[in-house]
Amino acid sequence: MRLVTRRSMLTGSAAVTIGAILAACTGGANNTGGGAASGGAKDTLTLGMTADIEGWDPNNQPGYQGWPGEAIWGLVCRPNEFGELEPSLAESWEISDDRRSFTAHLRQGTTFSDGATADAEAVRANFEFAATNEATRSLYEGITFDVPDAQTITLTWPEPQPLMNDRISRVKLTSPDLIDSGNLNDKPVGFGPYLLDEAGTTRGSVYSFTKNEEYWEADAYPYAKLVCKVYASETAALNALKTGQIDGTLVNAQSYDEVTGSGFEVKEMNGQTTRLLLTDHKGEIIPALGDVRVRQAINMVFDKQAMVDNLYAGHGEVSHQIFRPGSTAYLDDLADPYPFDVDKAKSLMVEAGYAEGFELELPTMDGQNHDVLMPYVTQQLAELNITVKQVPLTGANAIGDLLSGTYPVVLWQLGNIGDSVQDIDIVVRDTGYWNLEHQKDEYVDEQWDIICTGTDEEAEAAQKAINQYVIDQAWFAPMVNPTSFYAHTANVVIDNVSDLEGLAPKLRDFQ
Amino acid sequence: MLTSVWRNLLRSVVVLAVVTFVVFFLMYGNGPGIARAVMGMQAEVTEENVAAKMVELGLDQPLLVQYGHWVQGLFTGDLGRSFYTGQSVTEALATRVPVTLAITAVALVLTALLSVLLGVTAAVKGGRIDRVLQFLSILGTAVPSFITSIVLVFLFAIFWRVLPATGYVSPDVSLGGWAASITLPVLALLIGAVSSAAQQFRTATLDQLGKDYVRTLRARGVSERAVIFRHVLRNAAAPGLTVLSLTVFSLLGGAVFIEQVFALPGLGQLANSSAQIFDVPMVMGTVLVTAVIVLVVNFLGDLAITLLNPKARTR
Repeated sequence: MRLVTRRSMLTGSAAVTIGAILAACTGGANNTGGGAASGGAKDTLTLGMTADIEGWDPNNQPGYQGWPGEAIWGLVCRPNEFGELEPSLAESWEISDDRRSFTAHLRQGTTFSDGATADAEAVRANFEFAATNEATRSLYEGITFDVPDAQTITLTWPEPQPLMNDRISRVKLTSPDLIDSGNLNDKPVGFGPYLLDEAGTTRGSVYSFTKNEEYWEADAYPYAKLVCKVYASETAALNALKTGQIDGTLVNAQSYDEVTGSGFEVKEMNGQTTRLLLTDHKGEIIPALGDVRVRQAINMVFDKQAMVDNLYAGHGEVSHQIFRPGSTAYLDDLADPYPFDVDKAKSLMVEAGYAEGFELELPTMDGQNHDVLMPYVTQQLAELNITVKQVPLTGANAIGDLLSGTYPVVLWQLGNIGDSVQDIDIVVRDTGYWNLEHQKDEYVDEQWDIICTGTDEEAEAAQKAINQYVIDQAWFAPMVNPTSFYAHTANVVIDNVSDLEGLAPKLRDFQ
Repeated sequence: MLTSVWRNLLRSVVVLAVVTFVVFFLMYGNGPGIARAVMGMQAEVTEENVAAKMVELGLDQPLLVQYGHWVQGLFTGDLGRSFYTGQSVTEALATRVPVTLAITAVALVLTALLSVLLGVTAAVKGGRIDRVLQFLSILGTAVPSFITSIVLVFLFAIFWRVLPATGYVSPDVSLGGWAASITLPVLALLIGAVSSAAQQFRTATLDQLGKDYVRTLRARGVSERAVIFRHVLRNAAAPGLTVLSLTVFSLLGGAVFIEQVFALPGLGQLANSSAQIFDVPMVMGTVLVTAVIVLVVNFLGDLAITLLNPKARTR
């Protein structure tokens, strides 16, 4: 009896013991991953990614956690956190006064990893490809090229291009030979700071890179190796961080105390604004929304500081405008245009003739913090007799339904992009995909024309004017700029987050 | 015997056809929605663009024709390409299947050994040992695998730091690293599976121990060890094998979750991430492979039971 018991106990612990011994033989758990470095040397940077890339097509790379793409591909110019251009393949550049042409002066001696030269013809091939590619066609359709010599190229748009910086910095440059082959998704070719180590790469799981010493700015990337590991679950990423398998990962607000309590450093970012988008400005679907007083009343029923304190556990900032602080359109001296005042909001509804309120369908989706936000939003809108019916969007139709205009009001944590012209283009202009009802507005169009054709000063004033206009017209109910967190080991230094979207550090930010 | 094998094979093929057919129709039934999802949020959406995307993805064809193409590809080893990454489904499966098979196979072998050992011990010894094992078994079954995983990671990866918290090392790279990388996931799968299977083995053993032939054997002076190992275990093997083949299904199901927690690039993780973005060729690939594994295990289980059972052999 005793024998059997002892044997079973031994067998029961065998797996653990064998694993532990094997792990010890191979150097222990900490050796299984990256980790910046023993002895302070910058040998390997291992990053956790909570979202995978969608293959190697340079036209289909995420801005969010897009480190593999940043590693592989260089740009003509790269954007800083406010969308201003900085050198990359282009050492210098000029934009014509009519904002139609961009002339780049390219550095010499740059080659792609397949040996092709990264010159003006290569830039032309990439932009021509972008002009025919489904994902980017609308951004580059009609552009023409002038290539006077191998180091100079001028790109010209048929119309004034207010988003010139975005258009120039969006195209990731790959070898013309690869474009011709059509096999863009099979293997990445670039001249970026790192080269793909295919042997150490398993798609969807881990991407390994070695430093490209030929990169013009190699010194700015201190790590000899880069490893990006994909974690479908944030818990797994957090465990990997805690056990030294990775040097950094994005974490949510719920993990903040745990991460800082474990001695990790945290870089904070505010690249989003939680807002209601009241896109039926003309009341074509819900007549009440056509009255500015109703939209203003909606703005006044949310206690933004209470939202920060209670719904975001203090991790965020109250927001009165949809643009990012520091961006061109941002109004520095703006006081809260619609202070929390339920009584005044109710009286505005009465004035507008909607004391009885109306019914509103708000779409919900997983991963949008709606489980936390919706109860409060529903409760506060009920103060104005606005009955919220939540509509869960799932399945293949979710994105299409969301953007289809079926829902004239949407609650969303939407990005506030550092280049406010992009925000205006995406969420304010009638053509923007987040302007769900696409209703034209003369004032916005006038200001957009100035952004397109005016001087820099006039364009800046027009951006601010649009911001003031959408505040006055209450096209949005901005609430909170929630803080997002990048947790990292002390081996990694992140002084600045240069991400235009403000959602994660860029590869060059890791020092 | 041969008839039984053929019948099983035929049944497996029919089940495979039905499973893939149903999943195919469920997944591909919304062509425009899938095309729109693949185009992404920023795409310029017009009816023409969506229609062009459907043509590009082959979603414009009637569903039966699409299914026919998929089946045709099956015979040539071409399961299509990811709608999003362009990666060949076959290539993706080739890297994912070994990971899932590794953890489920190791977990199954250990489950078989431990559950027989614990189940038989509990049945034979009875008394306090039986009660303790029963209690542990109920506890193991009741505690969800995500709790088990969290505890295992905390103890072995974070607190003692003897095993990695996440990741998979191929045995080609390092055998030790491979063993270390699958130990915690296997343990997380094992605890629930052993708890459940050991109970079944205990019941089957107790059932046999109560039979007349055991009393007769004992009365003839056959040693207790011989009674248990030569006779009781042999007769309890058939229901035990059924339990083990069912365990494979639960292990495969559990792997979907375990692979997320331990960041293992396996079939479950691929199925989960692909289903979320409606990458249907990938989903179909994972469904196919999973169905094949289940059917093969089922087939082998039935075969083993047939071989062990003289009545079935003669049918």
